[in-house]
Amino acid sequence: MTLGVRLSEGRFALLLVLPALLAIFAVVMLPLLYSLWLSFTDVNVLRTSGPALELFGVRVPLFRWVGLQNYVGIFDDPLYWSSLWRTLYFVGAFVLEATLVGLGMALILNERFAGRPLLRSLLLIPWSLSRVVVGLLWIGILDFEFGAFNGLLYNLHLVDGSIAFFKDGFSALNVLVSVYAWNQAPFAALLFLAGMQSISVDVYSAAEVDGAGYWQRFGYLTLPALRPILFLVTVLATVNAFLMLDLIYVLTMGGPAHDTTTVAWLGFQTAFTFFKFGPGTAILYTLTALCLLLTLVYYRLILARFEPAA
Amino acid sequence: MATIAPTAAANRDYRGGRYKTRSVGSGLVLYGLILALALWLIGPFVWLLVTSISYQRNLMARPLSFVPPEVTLDNYRMVLGLVRFHAEGQAARILPSMLNSLIVASAVTALNLIIGTTAGYAYARYRFPLKTLSLFALLFARMLPTVVLVPAFFLMLRALGLQNTLTGLVVIYCAFTLPFTVWIMKAYFETIPDELDKSALVDGCNRLQAYYRVVLPVSGPGLVAAGAFAFMLCWNEFIIAQVLNTKPDTTTLPPVIVAMNGQTNIDYSVIAASGFVGALPAVLLVLIFQKQMVQGLTAGSVKG
Repeated sequence: MTLGVRLSEGRFALLLVLPALLAIFAVVMLPLLYSLWLSFTDVNVLRTSGPALELFGVRVPLFRWVGLQNYVGIFDDPLYWSSLWRTLYFVGAFVLEATLVGLGMALILNERFAGRPLLRSLLLIPWSLSRVVVGLLWIGILDFEFGAFNGLLYNLHLVDGSIAFFKDGFSALNVLVSVYAWNQAPFAALLFLAGMQSISVDVYSAAEVDGAGYWQRFGYLTLPALRPILFLVTVLATVNAFLMLDLIYVLTMGGPAHDTTTVAWLGFQTAFTFFKFGPGTAILYTLTALCLLLTLVYYRLILARFEPAA
Repeated sequence: MATIAPTAAANRDYRGGRYKTRSVGSGLVLYGLILALALWLIGPFVWLLVTSISYQRNLMARPLSFVPPEVTLDNYRMVLGLVRFHAEGQAARILPSMLNSLIVASAVTALNLIIGTTAGYAYARYRFPLKTLSLFALLFARMLPTVVLVPAFFLMLRALGLQNTLTGLVVIYCAFTLPFTVWIMKAYFETIPDELDKSALVDGCNRLQAYYRVVLPVSGPGLVAAGAFAFMLCWNEFIIAQVLNTKPDTTTLPPVIVAMNGQTNIDYSVIAASGFVGALPAVLLVLIFQKQMVQGLTAGSVKG
C-alpha cells in the first residue's frame, strides 16, 4: 500500500502544491512582509547590531521603528510627485502604444499570405531579447554619433547633423516608451492573435455574404470578441509599465536631470544608489499597493469570464 | 470549459479578407504592411549583428553605409578573449558570467519543472482546501513588483550568507518563475482529458503514479513551454543579479554587458558583439520551441 492511496484527495493535492507554495511563501511573501517592515524603519545597511529576528540561527536585522516617517518624507518630496506624474504619462503612453501596435500586428498576421509562419516566428524575436540587449541595440540605432537612424536621416538629407534623442528629457521619455513597446507589443499580438483565431470562420463568412466590409467586420465582430483579451493586455501592460526598470538603467539612468525618473526608478535609486532602504522601500511599496489593486481586477476578470466553476 | 487557446486547426485558414480573392489595391497595402512589420521586428536585431561585425569608424561615417564596407570578427575575438586589447579585463568576464547564467538558468528550469509542474497538476485536477486563495497568491506573486523585494533579499541573503552566490540567485529566480510555470502547466493539464488519469487508477496505479507514469509522459509540449519560458526569464534577468551579486565572478551575463556599456573607452561595436552573444541562446531557444511556447503562454495567460 503506497502513500497516494491512503491520503484523501484533498490532502494528496495539497501535498503536490506544497513545495511550490512554500518556495513562493519563503521567497516572495516573507520578503514582501519584511520589506513592509523595512519601510517603517531607519535601515542602516552597515549596522548589524540592534534588534533582530533570530530564526534557526539566522539573524535577520529589524532596525529601529520610525513609524510613518519614511512615508511622510517621500510624500513631502516634490520629486516623488513629479516622478508619479511622469510614471502615469509613461504608463498611459506605453499601454496605448503596446496595445495598438500589438493589435495591428495581430491583424496583419491574421491574414493569409506567403511567409506568414516566418513572420510569426520573427514576432518572437523582440520579445525574447533581454531588456539589456534591447537597450543596447536601440542605442546602436538612436545614438548621436553612430546611430543607424541618425545615419539614415543624414543619408536622406533630412537632418544636417544628428538628433540627440536622449538629450531632451521628454524625447528620452518617449524613446523609452517606444523601445519598451517594441519589446512588449509582440506578446500582446500573440494574445490578440490567439483570440482572433478562436472566432468562428462561419460568422465572418455570413457577415461577408451580408456585404460587410473589412472594417465593418473588424468593428462589429473582431473587436467585441476580443474584449476580454483587450482588457487582459491592458492590465498586463499597465503593471509592466509601472515596474519597468531595466531599460531605464541601460538607456537613461533616470536622466537627463530627473526627466525619465519614474516611481520605480526613484525607489530603486533611493535604495541602491543612496542605500536609503527605508525611504526606498516606502516608495516601492506605494507601487506594490497599485499592483495589488490591479491583480484584484485581473483575477476577478479571469475567474468571472473563463472559469466560472473555480 | 471555455477556451480561447488557438486549437481549432480549421481556423488556420481564415484570412480576414475576402474569401476568394483580394483586390490588387488591398493586396499592395497588405504586402507593404507585411514588409514594414518584418523590418520593424527584425531590423534592429539584424543591425545589432551588423554593428558587431563592423569597425566603429564605419558606424560613425556619414553618409552611413548600411551594408558594412568592411566585415570583421575582431569584436568577437575581443569578447571571447582571443586577442589582447585595452579593455580585456572587462571582456574576460563575459565567458565566466555566461557560464554562471547557464548554471543558474538550468538549475531554475529543472526546479521549476519538478515543483511547478506538480503543483500545476494538482490545480488542474483536484479540489483542495485553500485552492482559490493560493491561486490568488500565485497570481499576485507573478504581478508583484520584483524590485520591492530586492532590499529585503539583500538583507536576508546577507543574513544567510548567500549574497554573491549562485545559490542565492537560483532560490530567488525560482520564486519568480514558479508562478508562471504553475499557471502554464495548469492550463496544459486542463487540456488533457482526465479519463486518462481515471483509467490509470482503474488499472492499479495510485494517484501519484497516475501523474508521473501516465499524465507526465504525454505532457511534453507543456513542459517544453514552461521550461523554455523559465530559462528565458532567468537568462535575461538583470536587476536582481546586478544588485545582489556584485562580486565580479559571481554575477550573470546581463550585468557584465551593462558594465561594459558604461565604459566610455570600449567601442560600441565590441559591446554589440557581447550583446549578440548574450542574446543568441534565448532567441534560439524561443525560435526552436516557438510552437509550444506560444500555445503554452497564450493558454496560460488567457485562462489565467
